[in-house]
Amino acid sequence: MSPPTGAGGGPLRVVIAEDAALFREGLVRLLTERGHRVVAAVADGQALLDAVAADRPDVAVVDIRMPPTHSDEGLRAALELRRDHPGTGVLVFSQYIETRYAARLLEPNAAGVGYLLKDRVADVREFVDALARVAAGGTALDPEVVGQLLGASRNADDLAALTPREREVLALMAEGRSNAGIANALVVSVGVVEKHVASVFGKLRLPPDEGDNRRVLAVLRFLGS
Amino acid sequence: MARTGQVTESTGSPPQRRPTGARAAAAARAVLPAPFGRRARLELLFCLAGIPLGLCLPLVPYVISGPALAVALLSPEHDSTWVAAAAAIPAGLVLVLLATRIARRLGAVHRRLAARLLGERVDPPPPRPGRGAVGWAGAGLRDGPGWRAAAYQVLKLPLAVLEAYAAFLWVAGLADLTYPFWWGLFRNHPPGVTLDPVTAASPFPGRGFPVATFAGTFAALAVGVAMVLAAPWVTRAVVSVDRRLLRALLGPGRLAQRVRDLEQTRALAVDDAAARLRQVERDLHDGAQIRLATMAMHLGMAMEKLEDEGGQAEVRQARELVDEAHRAAKDALAELRDLVRGIHPPVLDNGLADALATLAAGSGIPVELTCDLPRRPTPAIETIAYFCAAELLANAAKHSAATRVTIRCAERDGTLVLTVGDDGTGGADPAAGSGLAGLAQRARTVDGRLKIASPPGGPTTVTAVLPLRA
Repeated sequence: MSPPTGAGGGPLRVVIAEDAALFREGLVRLLTERGHRVVAAVADGQALLDAVAADRPDVAVVDIRMPPTHSDEGLRAALELRRDHPGTGVLVFSQYIETRYAARLLEPNAAGVGYLLKDRVADVREFVDALARVAAGGTALDPEVVGQLLGASRNADDLAALTPREREVLALMAEGRSNAGIANALVVSVGVVEKHVASVFGKLRLPPDEGDNRRVLAVLRFLGS
Repeated sequence: MARTGQVTESTGSPPQRRPTGARAAAAARAVLPAPFGRRARLELLFCLAGIPLGLCLPLVPYVISGPALAVALLSPEHDSTWVAAAAAIPAGLVLVLLATRIARRLGAVHRRLAARLLGERVDPPPPRPGRGAVGWAGAGLRDGPGWRAAAYQVLKLPLAVLEAYAAFLWVAGLADLTYPFWWGLFRNHPPGVTLDPVTAASPFPGRGFPVATFAGTFAALAVGVAMVLAAPWVTRAVVSVDRRLLRALLGPGRLAQRVRDLEQTRALAVDDAAARLRQVERDLHDGAQIRLATMAMHLGMAMEKLEDEGGQAEVRQARELVDEAHRAAKDALAELRDLVRGIHPPVLDNGLADALATLAAGSGIPVELTCDLPRRPTPAIETIAYFCAAELLANAAKHSAATRVTIRCAERDGTLVLTVGDDGTGGADPAAGSGLAGLAQRARTVDGRLKIASPPGGPTTVTAVLPLRA
């Protein structure tokens, strides 16, 4: 069994809200095998709110579409959690990506929030890393969201000035990864990543790098504006 | 039933008379209570309302223009003739220009009356065209439905006379019934005094007959009974003519009605298509998609186990996970196959007969299928017919406890007639949300229709009549 990689390396206390029983059970098994504790696994938004209020978990994994209306009750529950329980990270986990949902989740800040496609669970390590990042107050945005933002950005001229490598670094920053995470993903040293980051910030005329969360916001604001 | 009939015949004449008596009794049961029914009351009210609306109002223009014309025609001096004509011609013109507008307003009143009293709901005609190049006057003159409403007013004139007559039958008949009751009170004159006879009403207005003696009042009573018994039927006959006129002249007209139907069915078709797409999305989201995600998760976990190059335990767990992924893959495939068949069964490409045969073969209830289509309907029609049959078969299996289903598919008078019958418990009701309403809607989108015969206790026969091409 791999060592737990939670906030501060310890095991995470997780609440799961997912109405598809098979998938929910799979998630419970995956996280339990990784040494985390699933304190509640529920199937609708209200049960999620109740479970979080009762158990105060480190992070909640929330499906967007759940009973009773099967529309966006998961998202609404997630927004409520963000407002009422800032100490609990919220990872919204869905079969589709809506940029607008991402924008609403990231208001007013990107601390302790994630929005991933369910497909990402196939890469177990990356998924668990993202969950730990959200639990620790970081951000995890799906590459799909970032890709859509990059494609639709009105600052195409500024983006065109970036080298392909710098674009990759920008995208990984937008996903919420730390310099170490980016270095890991690109298989380069942290020093190289730092150089790229500085160069990206210079070319996009963004304020200097001030920690992961504010960096994510700065990058997203740039892409969204 | 047949045997009972034979027995009656062989026993001779007395029982044979009974049916005649029974028929007479049945007729009496139909005729006698008619004057007291709610329908008769409402129809009488409609006739009475027709007197001011249909008879008096249309006479207003004649009453107004009458004196002017009379003055003009009867005046000995030519000068005043010209003056009257000069006044009458513009007045007549204004009347013509206003005719369609007034007729539309009156038509609306008649429609409301008919809806309230007769239960005859006639849709309003399309609104008057906007002002064109010829302006206000032209809009009135070009108003086809307005002129039809005006025609109704004209035809209503003689009809209102008949309706007034029906009302007369009621009132005069009822009055005749009272004669024997007050005769003794008012005609108790001393012997030797001769009083003029009083007049009792006959069915011919203005042609009353004299009643001079108490015995004569019974003649009045008899005439009254006859008139009251006849009144509801005369009323009904006149009102039914009025109903026809209402539908023909105050309704939207055939073309406008067709446009309205098409608008409705187009809306149904669009909604139906959107709802089906939504259902497909929902099925994919909750079915195959989540199974594939679960499968990916299991495979991801298995890969991790194998990467760690762990011992026997890890390998065993990995195998379990792969097993589960394998199962999820098979489930996802089965679900996708069902979904694909639900969107468009591939066998339908070979024709309706093959598709229905496949459907029948997969049914839990034995199905007797006959399909005789010399010409192939268009794909849209085949699809609708197929899904009709599939839904009806599913209904029979789910709700009816049927042991046998027959599906017949034939071409008749240039239409495709699909009949699905079962020997189940019946009581299928389109209003109860059994999917029948949806089928009827889908049939309507191609000008088809669905006939449902499903008495409680069964059997159920549903017939879909569809055009061959759409």
